[in-house]
Amino acid sequence: MSDLNETEIKVFIDAVTNYFNQLTQEPANVRGAFLDDNGGTAPVFDYSGQIAVSGQFRGTITVSAPRAMIRHLLLALNESDQSDANLRDTIGELANTLAGNARKHFGGEMEISVPRTAAGAIGGSGSRKRPYVIMVSWKTYSASLVVDIERLE
Amino acid sequence: MKLLIVDDSNVIRQRIARLAGDARLPNLEIVGQARNGAEALSLFVRHRPDVVTMDLTMPELGGVECTEQIVAIDDNVNILVVSALSDKSTAITALKKGARGFLYKPFTEDQLVEALLEMLPT
Repeated sequence: MSDLNETEIKVFIDAVTNYFNQLTQEPANVRGAFLDDNGGTAPVFDYSGQIAVSGQFRGTITVSAPRAMIRHLLLALNESDQSDANLRDTIGELANTLAGNARKHFGGEMEISVPRTAAGAIGGSGSRKRPYVIMVSWKTYSASLVVDIERLE
Repeated sequence: MKLLIVDDSNVIRQRIARLAGDARLPNLEIVGQARNGAEALSLFVRHRPDVVTMDLTMPELGGVECTEQIVAIDDNVNILVVSALSDKSTAITALKKGARGFLYKPFTEDQLVEALLEMLPT
């Protein structure tokens, strides 16, 4: 098993940047990635979406964002239904999009699941003791992207 | 023309449904919205749409398999894959199974309209 390298982590940062640019024409500020040395201390917000990764990789990709930020994203999509179901749907779709876009780099050897969502924290089957945490700012909001995957050898 | 929208995300289905009414497109009647490939097959058999927007990563039956099964029923159908899976091999696989276009998520309104216009018969 091996960790992702700096270039591979940047794939996820690029996916976040592209997502906000495309959908909102309002860039997100990505504050780099850091290793969560203490494990499990990445910030958790109101809603979380998670994609499980399999194939030549193992682990999870998790996005967590505050309710107000997801509501703003729905507005950017011209979606007026801001129900709890749609808020969860949106965070799940965000996780799905970031993981799916990463396949441009990793290819079909990285298989991804359908998203799981939760209010607050989401349990996962991440594999690393020290996942990568990418903090994202958009408008006045902060969100987190936790990349907790490793390559099987 | 009849349109079937297939995506496990309600927000994406609704977004595509709204954009299907864009004035640049021919008149598209939405005959169904499916949350997975199994629902899509059932709706396809019932309504025989001319156009399908197809997600790939879905529960129960994924979009690649669903595309293959729909094309086996009607190889004249216009299937536009709308997916976050942005590697070339996935797009090539979907096209080999019978899809006629591929659009990556996240997409803008113009990108969806243009992708549909490119695929639809003039």
